[in-house]
Amino acid sequence: MKPSLQADEWVNKYGNMLYNYTLNRVTDKGIAEDLVQETFLSAWRARDSYTADASEKTWLFAICKNKIIDHYRKKSTNKEQYAEADTTSSFFDEAEHWTREDQPNEWGVSYTTTIETKEFYTILEYCKKKLQEMQRNVFVMKYMEDLEAEEICKVLNISSSNYWVIIHRAKLQLRKCIEQNWINS
Amino acid sequence: MSLLNISCKKAAYLISKKEQGKINLFDRVTLSMHLSICSLCKLFEEQTGLIIRNTKHTHTEEKLPEEVKERIVEKILEEK
Repeated sequence: MKPSLQADEWVNKYGNMLYNYTLNRVTDKGIAEDLVQETFLSAWRARDSYTADASEKTWLFAICKNKIIDHYRKKSTNKEQYAEADTTSSFFDEAEHWTREDQPNEWGVSYTTTIETKEFYTILEYCKKKLQEMQRNVFVMKYMEDLEAEEICKVLNISSSNYWVIIHRAKLQLRKCIEQNWINS
Repeated sequence: MSLLNISCKKAAYLISKKEQGKINLFDRVTLSMHLSICSLCKLFEEQTGLIIRNTKHTHTEEKLPEEVKERIVEKILEEK
């Protein structure tokens, strides 16, 4: 097979899939494009070592996942110590009760099933984008990539107690954002 | 306030730890006591659970721009 034809077919076949996968994990389109490009280039360079044990698609997605985690790692090495403003301090009052503004309200859906409406996922994407970068990266690695807490701490160069604070704040923010935009829309 | 009474702020944090299986027995007991009387924290647990379970289902249908595809193919061909 001509290499030109192969490269063409490859990018056409898997380009959109990898792009959507990446876009769900990093918010910036330019960065997502670059990561997809790096994925294809790394895969191309390693194509001799590719064995048919895994499907080509699985293999490409594994490379892409590593590129995304590398991206998170690079972004976090500059930060000496994790520190961010606590945007969830308004959620609880002085007695540590939920404040009226930020308390959970009934959504009127079953909480144990899968959500079928496309609107929910559009809002989930929107709300993920609105998280602070560190919160988003931790959330994605934990719940989309299924990495263990210890590994996430290593990649992002954060302490275990930082991890728990960050992931908890991410959940507080996401829940509130979804309630505001989905239930109240 | 007895040792077994915890605030909503603390309960919400423990819910996050419980969800990842990182909660000790004492915290588990105080949390379940709190949840049995606090409907707001119960909602927090149910709603965040719902979000987490559904977070892998994504519906984005973006297309990698054609010029980016062309750029990638060019780069691959330069590799030869």
